[in-house]
Amino acid sequence: MSDSIVKVNNLVKRYKEKIAVDNFSLELKKGEILGLLGPNGSGKTTTINCILSLLSFNKGEIMIFDKEMSPKAYDIKSKIGVVPQNVAVMNTLNVYENVDFFCGLYIKDKNKRRRYVEEALEFTGLSDYKKYKPKKLSGGLVRRLNIACGIAHKPSLIIFDEPTVAVDPQSRNAILEGIKEMNRAGASIIYTSHYMEEVEEICSRIIIMDHGKKVAEGTANDLKNSLKIRESICIGMPAINEDIIKDIKGINHVYDAKYSEGELVISLDGGEHNLVHVLEYFNEKNLPFGHVQTKLPTLNDVFLEITGKELRD
Amino acid sequence: MFLRIFSYKIKQLIRMPWIVGWNFLFPLVLASAFYLGFGNMIKDDPNRLDTIEVAYVAGDGINSNFLSVIKELSKETKDHGKILEVTSFDSLEAASDALNKKDIEGIYYEHDDSIEVIVTENGLISTSLSQIVKSYQNYQASFEKILSEKPEAIDALIASINSNMSFLKKYDFKSGVSQYMQFFYALLAMSSLFSSWVSTAMMTSLCANLSECGKRFEMAPGHKLKAIFAGILAGTLLQSISNTVVICYVEYCLGLHWGAPIYMVIAITSLASALGISIGTLIGSIFKNEMALSMVPLAFTMTCSFFSGLMMGGIQQIIKNFCPILNKINPATVFTDSLYQLACYGKTSAYYQDLGIMVLMIAICLIISVLILRRRNYDSL
Repeated sequence: MSDSIVKVNNLVKRYKEKIAVDNFSLELKKGEILGLLGPNGSGKTTTINCILSLLSFNKGEIMIFDKEMSPKAYDIKSKIGVVPQNVAVMNTLNVYENVDFFCGLYIKDKNKRRRYVEEALEFTGLSDYKKYKPKKLSGGLVRRLNIACGIAHKPSLIIFDEPTVAVDPQSRNAILEGIKEMNRAGASIIYTSHYMEEVEEICSRIIIMDHGKKVAEGTANDLKNSLKIRESICIGMPAINEDIIKDIKGINHVYDAKYSEGELVISLDGGEHNLVHVLEYFNEKNLPFGHVQTKLPTLNDVFLEITGKELRD
Repeated sequence: MFLRIFSYKIKQLIRMPWIVGWNFLFPLVLASAFYLGFGNMIKDDPNRLDTIEVAYVAGDGINSNFLSVIKELSKETKDHGKILEVTSFDSLEAASDALNKKDIEGIYYEHDDSIEVIVTENGLISTSLSQIVKSYQNYQASFEKILSEKPEAIDALIASINSNMSFLKKYDFKSGVSQYMQFFYALLAMSSLFSSWVSTAMMTSLCANLSECGKRFEMAPGHKLKAIFAGILAGTLLQSISNTVVICYVEYCLGLHWGAPIYMVIAITSLASALGISIGTLIGSIFKNEMALSMVPLAFTMTCSFFSGLMMGGIQQIIKNFCPILNKINPATVFTDSLYQLACYGKTSAYYQDLGIMVLMIAICLIISVLILRRRNYDSL
């Protein structure tokens, strides 16, 4: 058996004339957390639904655990856990019953299931809320219940589809820590999000999608290193004339400089001691300035450069 | 898995306030309202006549054929139920005692050349008993001749008398069921069809194209149809229990007789509940819209109930005159008719035909649902 857990080859999914997923391929290796990054409507959830065989697709191949995925591939499904984007719990059942119901779809043995349910509740910090109905829980707790229902049966592949949408920072941290812990325990994970900082924090590899296509792939550093911008220097100063901006653009490694709302932003494509060179120029011209800040590129910058737009939503 | 889903579905359904309200409580409230509206009319329905319990006393030396005739009238026929329940007494005193104690409703005292009808008050019973005597006397010569020469032909003569007793023909002797009970039959039909709501709720939580829980369910390694059948069973059981409560409430608390043994009424109503659940399953497998899943079962139930006579008593007859096929395809009418047939005429062929139609409808709904639901993935979600 290879170390490939999920392999998607040239997936195409059309909704009538609209192409939702366009020749998309991905591979998740054992022990990885693969981030699937993209704006709303980029095709992440459609890809996940195709991988799970909930959606039919027009072209392509999906292999999970080296077997072809299909709606009746129960042996594959039994090893997959899913935390869907929207909360998927039964409002008429309490916390314990919800986890027990969904865990029971995978685990037949009653004692084993009871143990797993208790462990999932412990893991998500819901042990004190067993008798609560979902409507009585806060948004963060409901999200945690959503996770508990998806992971209670201890799957070896877990798919998280934007699990932190509308979650407060404390709960978000708890969720991200939990995901890392599950990964350390041996689960391979696909994590979709449009929050780039989350993906950067937990994912060992990242795929950026837009309009159903893969637009970039690599580790967070690979992606950042692929950018033309390697460093930005922001300097607070009063209004300056075009000649000065032209001079600054002439400094070594500076490829762009823009002034707006009392701040000059200088973009550099590499080099060393760039800040020193810029400040030397300011000194030489006797230009007044206030705060000075240097920034390294983020995944958001990567996305902007690749797609030429801000993340939607 | 089947039993777990079954038990969880029961748990879920009884915790849904709108199901408890509409399926469990509303029929009880409506039954009470019907009772307040025309409960007394049912109890005192002038068109209702129970089997008359009558004593027969023969005077000294009397050896007439009248006893044979009234014994024939004590048998159920396919046209109507038992008209008389005859008990022979040795003396008029003993019969009078029984009459005073209201053990019987009248006495035929045959003495000399006459047959006397003794009752405690005038009314429908005394008129009926007198009518029988008159008819006998009109045919007395024929009776005597047939009984002496060809006793096996007595049945034919009795039938002939029956056909001429137009006065008695208007009444349903079998069970004493009032025409107004049709409203309660229609109420049970409505309650049973309300169960279509139960199954659309159940389907919603099991199908990926209807809810997030459905997606989670279909991602799991379980057979969807098995789970849906567990849900159907749970819904049918709950609706049958709910209907049984209504049936017992009407029979024992409101004191209105359904016109048939209560276990038979419960059994037929359970079949109707299964029909309602099956219709809901079909609706759930066709419609994807949340609003449609609530409104279609409601609209369907109320329309069928209206045409079965829930709001307007004679509508079934009007439909029968102008478009009889509607009565055969309206599940509420088929159900009310089956109860009516059973209550008034017993297990006639029309009764079995109604049961057959209900079973056929269940089968058709489930087969179409299975054909739609067996598809395991979706074009869009």
